[in-house]
Amino acid sequence: MAGRRAALKAIDWLAFAERVPPNQRGMFNALKTRTDAISAKLASLPGKPAPIDWSYYRNAVAKAGMVDEFEQKFNALQIPEPVDTQTSAIDAQEQEAAQSALAYVEASKVRVATFEEELEKFKNMIPFDQMTIEDLNATFPETKLDKEKHPYWPHKPIADL
Amino acid sequence: MLSRLVLVSGPALKNSGSFGACLVQASRSLHSSPQSQAPVPPLPEKGGKVRHGIFPEELFTLLYPKTGVTGPYMLGTGLLLYMLSKEIYVINHETFAAASIGAVIIYGVKKFGPSVASFADKLNEEKVAKAQEVKDIAVTSLAQAIEDEKKEQWRAEGRQMLFDAKRNNVAMLLETNYRERLHMVTSEVKKRLDYQIALQNLHRRMEQEHMVNWVEKNVIQSITPQQEKESIAKCIADLKVLAKATQAKATA
Repeated sequence: MAGRRAALKAIDWLAFAERVPPNQRGMFNALKTRTDAISAKLASLPGKPAPIDWSYYRNAVAKAGMVDEFEQKFNALQIPEPVDTQTSAIDAQEQEAAQSALAYVEASKVRVATFEEELEKFKNMIPFDQMTIEDLNATFPETKLDKEKHPYWPHKPIADL
Repeated sequence: MLSRLVLVSGPALKNSGSFGACLVQASRSLHSSPQSQAPVPPLPEKGGKVRHGIFPEELFTLLYPKTGVTGPYMLGTGLLLYMLSKEIYVINHETFAAASIGAVIIYGVKKFGPSVASFADKLNEEKVAKAQEVKDIAVTSLAQAIEDEKKEQWRAEGRQMLFDAKRNNVAMLLETNYRERLHMVTSEVKKRLDYQIALQNLHRRMEQEHMVNWVEKNVIQSITPQQEKESIAKCIADLKVLAKATQAKATA
């Protein structure tokens, strides 16, 4: 039988489970149950069917040549293998997923860069007890009092005190 | 009197003359204009040391080499006596008012100074602590966020497995289907052969039964009434003989 499908890739379900983010756990469980059902079904079928005992039939069946004819035809029969329609779809999905994962990783890296920048700022900050008000306004621009908008002390709406 | 004039006009001269220079010095020491790019040193924790609350320590250290420890005190006493004796400072009722107010102030500061100072320090401490807390929370949350992002990136790497699993599923389904087909073919062929055999067996059995029935029928037909009577008479005779034999056996 030519073209026997390649050996099934062993999947480490534990490692796979680790990589699944919590919000997709339901889908992962569904996939696992489906896979288990399919592999159980596969295991229940033996690889080759039980061979037919031609000699017994040759002696038993009275009709001449019938058994021989059957045997010939049986051995000559080529059972077509089922056509694989899904693998290409899966490959396409994989490409797409690779694209989106790349985009996500890029965005994630940008986020990491911003976070690290802020972390650096915090690390290099002078300690609070050595700061003046100008230093505070420089490090945290949100603490700067708007003296144009509120010209009189306390330079911010009373409700914000 | 002349000395008094000098003293009175002196400050005026000083003001007009050195005021400008003072101003320039002040602005330079505050670094408000970008004349020097050196970083401003951190603010000192405590003010300059003073002795007796008013006199800076630098005066004492200045005079120490020449006049020793008692120098500044001598200077102070001398100045005071000079001012009193020459009536540069005149004692009047204001003096007593100043003395009493000074005494009260000094008593107040000595008694309540430390507690007020600690209260003010506590307020400041709280502000600094709050700011520090904000900073710590920010730092930890940022570090956590970076960790999470890295974890998500690692997770995304594992997407390969999903597609492997899918392909496996497809392969398994195909294999199952193929095997089912094989099994079906074999079982169908076997069924047909078995059918032939069963058919043959059925034929043979029917022939046998038919033959047996036919033979039986013919035998029964061939028994004529004449033969029947003869065979019944023979049977009765045999029975009589047998009965005699058994009677004889019984009595003997």
